[in-house]
Amino acid sequence: MKGGDPETISAAKNTSAGVRTRKRATTSLFAQGEPMIWLTGGGLVIALVMISGLISLIFAQGIVTLWPQPIVRYRTHDGRALMGEVTREESYRPQEADYARLAPADEERERKKKAARDGWARRRLLRTGNFELTGEHFNWISDLEVSDSDLPEWAVIVERLSWGRFYGIPKAFLIDGEQTASGAEAVWSEFQRYFDGVVERRKKQRHMETVTVGELNLRLEHARLNIRRAEIVHGSGSAEHKQAEAEYEVLEKKASGEFARIQHEVKALRDKNEGYQILFEVADGRETKLSLAEIVRAYPANRLSFPRKIAVYGSRWIEFLTAEPREANSEGGVFPAIFGTVVMTVLMSLAVVPFGVMAALYLREYAKAGPVVSAVRIAINNLAGVPSIVFGVFGLGFFCYMVGASIDQLLFAEKLPNPTYGKGGILWASFTLALMTLPVVIVATEEALSAVPNSMREGSYACGASKWQTIRRIILPRALPGIMTGMILAMARGAGEVAPLMLVGAVKLAPELPIDRIFPYIHPERSFMHLGFHIYDLGFQSQNSEAAKPMVFTTTLLLITIVALLNVFAVRLRTRLRRKFVSSVF
Amino acid sequence: MSPEKIFTGRARAKRTRASVKLMDVVSRLLITIGGLGTLITVSTVFLFLLWVAAPLLSRARIENPHSYNVSGATGVPIIHMGLDEYRLMEWLLFADGRLQVRRMDDGEVLEEERLFPGREIKAFAAAGGYDEVIVGFDDGTVALGRIGFSTEFVDQTQASPELKVLGPGSRLRIGNGIAERISADQFRIRRLAHSFAEPIEAESPAAIRLIAYSITPLGKSYAALSEDGRLYAYNLSERKNILTGDVVLRRVRGEITDILQKDRGLPQFMVLSGLGDSLLVAWADGYAVRLNIRDLRNPVVEERLRMLDDSGLRLTVVQNLLGGTTILAGDSAGTVRAWFPVLTEYGVGQTAQRRLIAAHRFERPGAAVTALANSTRMRMFVAGYEDGGILLYHVTSHKLLGEVEMPGAASGAPVLKVALAPKDDMIFGLSSSLAAGWSLDPRYPEATLSSLFLPVWYEGARKPEHVWQSSSGTDDFEPKLGLMPLIFGTIKATVFSLLFGVPIALLGAVFTSEFMSPRSKARIKPIVEMMASLPSVVLGFLAALVFAPVAAKMLPAVLSVFVTVPLAFLFGSYLWQLIPHRVSLRIQRWRFPAMFAAIPFGLLAASGVGPWMEQYCFSGDIMRWLDGQVGGARGGWLILFFPLSILLVAWLMGFTEPWIRRISIGWSRSKCAVMDLVRFIASLAIAALLAFGAAVVATALGFDPRGGIFGTYVQRNALVVGFVMGFAVIPIIYTIAEDALSAVPEHLRSASLAAGATPWQTATRIIIPTAMSGLFSAIMIGLGRAVGETMIVLMAAGNTPVMEWNLFNGFRTLSANIAVELPEAVRNSTHYRTLFLAALTLFAMTFVLNTAAEMVRLRFRRKAVEL
Repeated sequence: MKGGDPETISAAKNTSAGVRTRKRATTSLFAQGEPMIWLTGGGLVIALVMISGLISLIFAQGIVTLWPQPIVRYRTHDGRALMGEVTREESYRPQEADYARLAPADEERERKKKAARDGWARRRLLRTGNFELTGEHFNWISDLEVSDSDLPEWAVIVERLSWGRFYGIPKAFLIDGEQTASGAEAVWSEFQRYFDGVVERRKKQRHMETVTVGELNLRLEHARLNIRRAEIVHGSGSAEHKQAEAEYEVLEKKASGEFARIQHEVKALRDKNEGYQILFEVADGRETKLSLAEIVRAYPANRLSFPRKIAVYGSRWIEFLTAEPREANSEGGVFPAIFGTVVMTVLMSLAVVPFGVMAALYLREYAKAGPVVSAVRIAINNLAGVPSIVFGVFGLGFFCYMVGASIDQLLFAEKLPNPTYGKGGILWASFTLALMTLPVVIVATEEALSAVPNSMREGSYACGASKWQTIRRIILPRALPGIMTGMILAMARGAGEVAPLMLVGAVKLAPELPIDRIFPYIHPERSFMHLGFHIYDLGFQSQNSEAAKPMVFTTTLLLITIVALLNVFAVRLRTRLRRKFVSSVF
Repeated sequence: MSPEKIFTGRARAKRTRASVKLMDVVSRLLITIGGLGTLITVSTVFLFLLWVAAPLLSRARIENPHSYNVSGATGVPIIHMGLDEYRLMEWLLFADGRLQVRRMDDGEVLEEERLFPGREIKAFAAAGGYDEVIVGFDDGTVALGRIGFSTEFVDQTQASPELKVLGPGSRLRIGNGIAERISADQFRIRRLAHSFAEPIEAESPAAIRLIAYSITPLGKSYAALSEDGRLYAYNLSERKNILTGDVVLRRVRGEITDILQKDRGLPQFMVLSGLGDSLLVAWADGYAVRLNIRDLRNPVVEERLRMLDDSGLRLTVVQNLLGGTTILAGDSAGTVRAWFPVLTEYGVGQTAQRRLIAAHRFERPGAAVTALANSTRMRMFVAGYEDGGILLYHVTSHKLLGEVEMPGAASGAPVLKVALAPKDDMIFGLSSSLAAGWSLDPRYPEATLSSLFLPVWYEGARKPEHVWQSSSGTDDFEPKLGLMPLIFGTIKATVFSLLFGVPIALLGAVFTSEFMSPRSKARIKPIVEMMASLPSVVLGFLAALVFAPVAAKMLPAVLSVFVTVPLAFLFGSYLWQLIPHRVSLRIQRWRFPAMFAAIPFGLLAASGVGPWMEQYCFSGDIMRWLDGQVGGARGGWLILFFPLSILLVAWLMGFTEPWIRRISIGWSRSKCAVMDLVRFIASLAIAALLAFGAAVVATALGFDPRGGIFGTYVQRNALVVGFVMGFAVIPIIYTIAEDALSAVPEHLRSASLAAGATPWQTATRIIIPTAMSGLFSAIMIGLGRAVGETMIVLMAAGNTPVMEWNLFNGFRTLSANIAVELPEAVRNSTHYRTLFLAALTLFAMTFVLNTAAEMVRLRFRRKAVEL
């Protein structure tokens, strides 16, 4: 391969002169550039493979997570026994120290095996639960340590309100300390007999604790704020102030009686529930009692038939979608996050669509084309590229600290120094995202408006319609699908955005939903939970991050499903819109 | 037929109804206001950020001067003064032992007492930041004590009648104290409180000349120099006997000798460091000795230095700054220098030594510095000058915060003493006749444009540095708000992600627009576009929890993938060429699916090459190699040079193209294909040799990639972020680039093909040059996206604000920093506003990129129309 041959140039000249020879040369493979085409195709292939790999990873992990796994019991050489679900398995290279830890006989045998396996061994992460007994949620078990493993028939997985999962074999069933059944099977049937009642009572108890007590507290808080307001408006010691104080005292007296009554009832329910207990034997032979009041769900994992597995799977999905989170968000459901995401997105679109459409109408129908309008257009395109976190900073500084603080001064002075609107909340979050997605809506609407053929406008004017009549009757209906596309794209972007929300109101755990049964029903000042923030929080702020990992995948699956559905919807709408216009242009 | 009669039968209105006209006007007004309003609101984002960030550069607010005559002070010099934290009063200590308390607003003397009757105060020192003072007398004794203020709270019900009517904000003298209302039913009375222990006998009966004092974590330290030239340092510590509960005061003494020089006389200044371990003794001519007195029985002279550069100058004031490590020294030319000890660079066999360095200079030529006082909250000081000027500076940021003059009768008279109130809310100056106070709000002393963007010389650092460290566990911590490490992190993230994302996106776009059937294009393009709407939090989570552990576990294989996968595609193409022409034309539409097969081969090759590469290039353990524990530089250079030399060889091969064409005339297709394959393999071999040669040369020259692009491996690093964020910017670049390529008019393509060019020749010589500006704008927009991306870097970049190009180390970007710190920042603090400035910087960076992209795109569109 000699490069830079001096004859090259003259040779090239010769060939280009001889037309006949050149014709044959075009069939030359070298001109096809096949390798380069493959390289360009490779770029696309890599992109596609990465997308599909990522999506299928999330799908696989997200769908498998809630499926009931069998309980495996491992016995080790040194006599320990561990029982739990295998979370994942991997190959690794055991270090010298791992072998040194084994008993001499085992060590020799394992070393022999090591040679056979080329230095590799397998280990698995076992979710052993029983945190209150062992102090650990997970354990790594290596092939080196295992002497045998089995699937105990009556091993039961218990999902609890606190302390994470529990794995054990039921021994006896107790009602108020009296043993009513022994042996796993009998215990299990007793459990099924009483469990529904326990759940019912727990629901009732929870309702009393939150809703009834919550309403009482709210009334008290109102009365307290009335005192404060009277003090601010009429001054301390004024007649109004004294009256408010008197009212508060009456209410408080009434409330304390009510509280005592509720507490009594709640205690009765709880005592009744706690009376039902199961005696479990755990892996290492210890026995421990578990009250039914603590149990959310329990099933003998290794006895489940396929339909039963599906039932457990389904009930877990229902819990995931409709329940509140437990255990620092790592268990339970994500309902508040779904609700928060939906409410925030809807509020956002309510804010963004009218203004976006107005701006687009102004730009397209009213403003005179010129350097100003094109500058504005550039600015809007530019704004679409501004990082979302910058909008978050703006939202925090402008909406929360400036507008919100002023509202607090004017309307909620009695609550100060506790901010009402002067902090992150769902209203400010949706305004912030509305600002961020405004360019999307403006651009989409403008596109839709410009796609309305001028002939239609002129026709309308020719019929004597005014400008507004033309816009309302002719242009907007035509542009509506385009505007809808813009809105849906904005919603998809808004639903998936997290960074600005971290600044303007998304929280780890919101005790109250932004819409509830308490007057005035909609509470735009409240902080909220968000699916995207939930993912961040679970993956990075969680204490038991290994237990939270499956939840992250499920939540991710949910989020991208929502976003993807919105997008697909928008794309469909766009194609339909295009088809419609193609046929209507004449 | 009359014109009135129309087919609807209704009479036709001849003019537009008023309601229609009204609606028209109203809607026009509404849309104009709403539309313009929206557009204006949107542009206020920038203005708002600027509005919040701008006050950072403002000076301190110094206002409301008030002054009064200091009567009865004439003749007797004032030794020291102290201010009350509520700005109610101050105390003055005179050389004759009088302690005077005055109201701060009008100067009324509240109390006067003569301390130490029978003794004359010869030396005085106050421990920085405390009310603790020490006094040296003419008989060689010293007394420790404290002078401060006490607080008493009085309820409304117990208050005297005159106090009861006191309104909020006004003050009332109650005996020797001052009362102030603090709430509806409570008052606060402040009084002077002072106490002195019995004087301690000194080693020599000569009068004390100089004294230095410091409260250390272990007790109290002081040093005293007597007129007969004897210098002693002491350490007082209280020890509690655990059994008896008695407190025993333990005093350790050490004598310091052989630092005095006959021709210089006795020193004029003495300063003890905050930890009590270092003593600076200075003469007025600038000569100084610094001693290490950590071991009192064995004091060591650490250095002798000159604190002035000109022999004609004199030192006028020397004292500690907050924390007791930095020493402020004022001279007769009006310059204040801040000195602090710095670990010197040391060679083999030497121990590290500390040297004082004058890191900061504050010049105000014209008048000598006559007084200095430091803040007890931050590294700020106030300096008084001989001509009556008083200046307020922040040491680290070099910011001149404010400047005032002694008012009225005292203007032009030297300032004898200055003081800062404990809460930094007042400056106080004293001349021989007048006392003056100014209320002070330091605002944002730590921030100047240069402290935010240029290296800053922090205490103890060898040289000015870029540092971002906004908070810490300790109290005397100084926030370091240099934005450069964050900007660097942003750029690093962007560069690595674009290195990965841009080639894939552009190549993919070229293939989609030029070599794909319209039908498959319509199916493929939305899939890639869908990827754009994948929430970045999902990508971040996958990067940190899925990809980062994989990369850490099989790093060599992951690195090889970047070479083996592209090579697998090339190899695939050469094999494809070997297929007979007749067959390959038939299976043309299977070409794209066939490309997918290259991926598993590439991955397989990587997993094979990885361990081999680790063995050969990285001495068997890449982590330890990166750490610098094993192996030489050659392996790293080889890895670095191999892709580069492939590119170089590919470029050089282009020159052999005409020659190959010429000799291949008349060859069969299969012969060409074989030839091409041979050429490819030969090129690879050449590239490998070239890389090896370059690596040997680079190693021989003593360069090592470790410390540059390679370095210690951290699990969350630029490689992970580059991969995942590249993934995030691919769709946007791909979409825009593909649009630009497809927008090239069809007639150009047809003309080229008709002239006999192959599709590849058409693509490279016609389409891509025409669409170049569109491709450029695609890259710019991708750049903008990468700069602002938050969640991925927040989750996968480790968030350590370090400035190094190491591919395997983390970084912190502007955006992630805002997301992490803004929720915790105190509203309107320097930190808060600096974060707004960070947001503004981010905004400016993306604005420039997007505007450039937009302008290029507009030009491209205009050009495309012309075509």
